[in-house]
Amino acid sequence: MNNKPKIGVYVCHCGVNISKTVDIDAVVEFASRMPNVKVVRDYAYMCSDPGQLLIREDIEKEGLNRVVVASCSPRMHESTFRKTLAAAGLNSYYLEMANIREQCSWVHEDKEEATAKAKKIVYAAVAKARLLEPLYEKEVDVEPATLVIGAGIAGIQAALDIANAGFKVYLVEKTPSVGGRMSQLDKTFPTLDCSACILTPKMVDVANHPNVELLAYSQVEDITGYVGNFDVKVRKKARYVDVNKCTGCGVCSEECRLKNRIPSEFNMEMGKRAAIYLPFPQAVPAKYTIDPERCLFLTRGKCGKSPKCVDACSAGAINFEQEDEIAEFKVGTVIVATGFDVFDAARKPEYGYSDYPNVVTGLEFERLVSASGPTGGAVVLGEGEDAVVPKDIAFIKCVGSRDASVGNEYCSRVCCMYTAKLAHLVMEKVPGANVRIYYMDVRAFGKGFEEFYDRVRREGIRYIRGNPSEIFKRGEKLVVKVEDTLTATPLEDEVDMVVLAVGLEPRKDAREIIDILRLSQSGDRFYLEAHPKLAPVDTATDGVFLAGCAQGPKDIPDTVAQAKGAASSALVLLASGKVKIQAQISVVDQSTCRGCGYCVEICPYGAIDLVTVNRMGNLAQAAEVNEALCKGCGACAAACFSGSIQQKSFMDRQILPQIAVLGVM
Amino acid sequence: MVDVAKLKEIARETVSRDDVKYLIGWRQGTFGFRAAPHFVNKPEDVDQLIFSPLCSHNLATYLTGVEKLPVPRGQEADSRKVALMVKGCDSRAVVLQLVEQGYGRDSVVVIGCPCQGVVDQKKVEAKYPDMGENITAEWGEKTIIFNLPSGKTEVPREEVLAGKCLTCRYPNPLLADAGAWEEVAVWGSDDYADVQDLEAGNPQERRAFWEDKFASCIRCYACRNVCPMCYCEDCILDRLNPQWITRAVNPTENTAFHLSRAFHLAGRCIECGECERVCPVDIPLMKLNRKLTKEVRENYDYEPGLDPEAKPLQASYRPNDKEDFIL
Amino acid sequence: MSAEYQPNIVAFLCNWCSYAGADLAGTSRTNYPSNLNVIRVMCSGRVNPLFVVNALQQGADGVLVSGCHPGDCHYMEGNFYARRRFGMMKELLEYVGVEPGRFNMSWVSASEGAKWKDVVGEVVDKAKEAGPFKQFRRDKINW
Ligand SMILES: Cc1cc2nc3c(=O)[nH]c(=O)nc-3n(C[C@H](O)[C@H](O)[C@H](O)COP(=O)(O)OP(=O)(O)OC[C@H]3O[C@@H](n4cnc5c(N)ncnc54)[C@H](O)[C@@H]3O)c2cc1C
Ligand code: SF4
Ligand code: SF4
Ligand code: SF4
Ligand code: SF4
Ligand code: SF4
Repeated sequence: MNNKPKIGVYVCHCGVNISKTVDIDAVVEFASRMPNVKVVRDYAYMCSDPGQLLIREDIEKEGLNRVVVASCSPRMHESTFRKTLAAAGLNSYYLEMANIREQCSWVHEDKEEATAKAKKIVYAAVAKARLLEPLYEKEVDVEPATLVIGAGIAGIQAALDIANAGFKVYLVEKTPSVGGRMSQLDKTFPTLDCSACILTPKMVDVANHPNVELLAYSQVEDITGYVGNFDVKVRKKARYVDVNKCTGCGVCSEECRLKNRIPSEFNMEMGKRAAIYLPFPQAVPAKYTIDPERCLFLTRGKCGKSPKCVDACSAGAINFEQEDEIAEFKVGTVIVATGFDVFDAARKPEYGYSDYPNVVTGLEFERLVSASGPTGGAVVLGEGEDAVVPKDIAFIKCVGSRDASVGNEYCSRVCCMYTAKLAHLVMEKVPGANVRIYYMDVRAFGKGFEEFYDRVRREGIRYIRGNPSEIFKRGEKLVVKVEDTLTATPLEDEVDMVVLAVGLEPRKDAREIIDILRLSQSGDRFYLEAHPKLAPVDTATDGVFLAGCAQGPKDIPDTVAQAKGAASSALVLLASGKVKIQAQISVVDQSTCRGCGYCVEICPYGAIDLVTVNRMGNLAQAAEVNEALCKGCGACAAACFSGSIQQKSFMDRQILPQIAVLGVM
Repeated sequence: MVDVAKLKEIARETVSRDDVKYLIGWRQGTFGFRAAPHFVNKPEDVDQLIFSPLCSHNLATYLTGVEKLPVPRGQEADSRKVALMVKGCDSRAVVLQLVEQGYGRDSVVVIGCPCQGVVDQKKVEAKYPDMGENITAEWGEKTIIFNLPSGKTEVPREEVLAGKCLTCRYPNPLLADAGAWEEVAVWGSDDYADVQDLEAGNPQERRAFWEDKFASCIRCYACRNVCPMCYCEDCILDRLNPQWITRAVNPTENTAFHLSRAFHLAGRCIECGECERVCPVDIPLMKLNRKLTKEVRENYDYEPGLDPEAKPLQASYRPNDKEDFIL
Repeated sequence: MSAEYQPNIVAFLCNWCSYAGADLAGTSRTNYPSNLNVIRVMCSGRVNPLFVVNALQQGADGVLVSGCHPGDCHYMEGNFYARRRFGMMKELLEYVGVEPGRFNMSWVSASEGAKWKDVVGEVVDKAKEAGPFKQFRRDKINW
């Protein structure tokens, strides 16, 4: 195309919205005298079909190659007019909008002033339009597969949805079994379904799904690339058990010399396991794992005459020679569902969690009341002969939540309800129990929550408003020191057991994933979503989504809903098979870039890398923009001293003439 | 203190190395109280090396210039190391050039020279107007000793040292691979009195002051060319598309030039004073640069060229950066 | 200064917050002085500090840069870089004698149409007080 600018200027009346305060004729007359302007027209509604037709015809008949539409805000109709240009066969980025409505006719009353300003705005747009360049929206193919990191209920649900839609899923779980925190729960509020009963089928489904490749006991090491094309590297940790041979019979564990000697993580260290173990009976995959930090043979090179597990395993599955394996594959999208940690109650020393065995956390109590737990579901303190059934039980809510002193200002959203649930279970299991709950507020916002809270109170559980200041021992009893703030009475409440309703925190290892995927954190340190309202499952990186408690505390219904949201967002990309890449991105002039790396540091999306270039025989470093990652903010362009990196459509040489026009006129 | 004999020994060893292309140091100049850069290509050239109060040049400037020479077709780029002698301030330029990836750490050999201050030519020439040829100088105890034709004279250092040395807080090299030295004591301190002077005035006074200075600039760009941190391949001052600043030498273009360069040196100027030293019309460029140095230190707690691991000031931020100026 | 003096102000607004806020001021039919002309960029982080020098040189009597409030940047960090750059640029300009009222920066969110009106008012008042800018204005504009 002949690149000498031939500009058409289209001045819109917007009914009377513009023409009421802007003298359209004067603007038209003025525009017709601007350099390179070939056609100037005005029309009642430029955005209407006849209005757009005017532009299309002029492009076709007059050979216009730049268009300026003087009308409303580009935020309103830029995309409309881009389509108009495209329909006439002109590159849609040859459009410049002059906003003479929102920022002119609507905010100035004096017609003379508004007209003068409209002229300036149009002139600045023409000045920029002369220098516009065609841009092309590229498309890249999307690898039809998803990586799901973390196999709690969030990860499992997302994986199932995507797999059911017919796409491949790699589900990576750090621990030996899928299931996450939910597998540790006994019943689930508000309906009191047995957690294992509703979760186990899903765990089995996900492991057996033909589209799901489950990588349990594995860790993501590295992810590179961009939306549609991520290269993933996963370390499959050695289990020292050949999963193809292991039948899950468990004889090895029975025989292990360390049987019942190692605190069980699953039971919150209240029960014991062997060095070769299944984390819990329903674990999926039902394959045994040797704990490399405990196993006598692996730590000392010797386990009696010969390792007992090896002798016991008739399948010959145990293999001490096994090594970590690296799996590498490509995916189009990534879902982060790495969940949470519970607050470490030792950080509130006044509650004596580290001092008294009968002060426990909510999650420990879940294990205690669970039929698969260390006591078989009996609420008892102590072991064997000394075991006693606690009658007076106090719950304390908001431990580690809504508490600036421990750096957690947020509400953990599940503690109110799980406290009510656990209190209810006490009433069920301990006849004549005397349960009270110390609380700041009761937040029963979810579906069926308020009803559940009511039910629990009717069962005789007392809610006492007050935040205990201290817990200490008096004889055999624990004393909860608190002020009942509704009656302003100080209390010293003697109890047998205290349950701390610990809140939810970001995982201690949350940084691993941040470093791999360059995620951001919100003020509460959970992973940051792209927009708190309108993009709650997206992240700043295209193609990477969040699900479950990794993004913030939530209960199971919300976790599942978000997982389904993340799955559907991922599916949008997978199903369309292509993704459009921004056109207004940055470009580097590698012949002048001095490789200082400022832009690399600054780019919030990690879109720029330094590469080696040949400059007159010398090897030099220069920036290179990854077009698929750049979001076109232009921060790099403002950082570069020599102007070697520029943002398309907002180049220095396009902006300086705008400044000149606005300055002079 | 530097043992010059030992320094030469080190220099000789260094240039004899196979992996070293040449060494850049100083030698005595040919007139007045001047030293000159000295490119040592072979061991015998070492004899002329000096390290004295005349060694003002910040030789780090040459490091970024080296790579720009085109390599003739068919030849390989010479990837051997360049050895460089640095004073305290010069070493900060090297540190910052490394931060800005001007070259790799293993492509330079840095020879450290703790510095007790270099002379300001203008001060010395005023003091000894009928200078002879080839006058050498050495450091005394808090003095500078000149070997004038009329014999040795000893002057208190405050009288002849460059302004930057009187406020220097980093006389010892911050980075060096070798050096024959013991650290010298820091005796300067910096309260930015020169900047505060001007800040105390009203806008009209400041404007008058700078209008006068900028008007006299002849836009020779010596200040930019000598600056170790101005090593852009295509400086915006030279660019034609877009043309930020026109070629005209007049107060408005000159001001735009000075503001642009000063801003580009914000958080990057390591206060070697070279720009001011080379300016043929005596524009007090350090008074301009040091305004930003002061701001950067006070508001962003940052000093360039101290830490090779620190992110550059203009490529980083803190969430609580000052914003009292924002509406 | 004579009562008729009308300063000419060039403003750089980020697309997502300040430009949207200015649009909102329009949609709500706010009324404010017409002295300020807007150049839209995607992010306040795109605004090269030398644009300010250039605008003054090319005839502006005042310059405004406006972006999202800290933490609200559409691109997460752009306004943080802008804040640092313009904090230094403002100091530099004032040091060479440019009146403090000439260069301003503001945070205006997409919902702050009313604040936008106030910002424009304040910026125009300050520029009026500073008077026509002559210090290093180009007498012959080249563009
Ligand atoms: C005491 C207590 C009681 C509760 N009771 C209820 C209840 O009754 N009803 C209810 O609705 N909600 C309840 N909840 C909340 C419920 O536990 C959560 O909503 C749910 O577990 C969140 O699931 P998730 O998948 O997001 O996280 P998680 O369950 O934490 O799962 C995350 C998974 O990711 C894995 N992982 C982590 N990092 C990595 C990594 N880097 N690589 C690979 N894998 C990784 C973890 O090992 C884990 O398997 C309770 C919570 C607590 C603490
Ligand atoms: S900031 Fe400019 S010179 Fe530096 S690496 Fe980026 S493009 Fe190159
Ligand atoms: S425009 Fe923004 S997103 Fe694109 S490369 Fe530059 S800094 Fe990164
Ligand atoms: S601006 Fe001047 S003092 Fe600063 S580094 Fe450059 S030459 Fe040295
Ligand atoms: S003035 Fe700016 S653009 Fe020019 S060489 Fe110096 S830093 Fe680079
Ligand atoms: S060295 Fe002096 S005269 Fe030359 S450009 Fe720099 S300030 Fe101007």
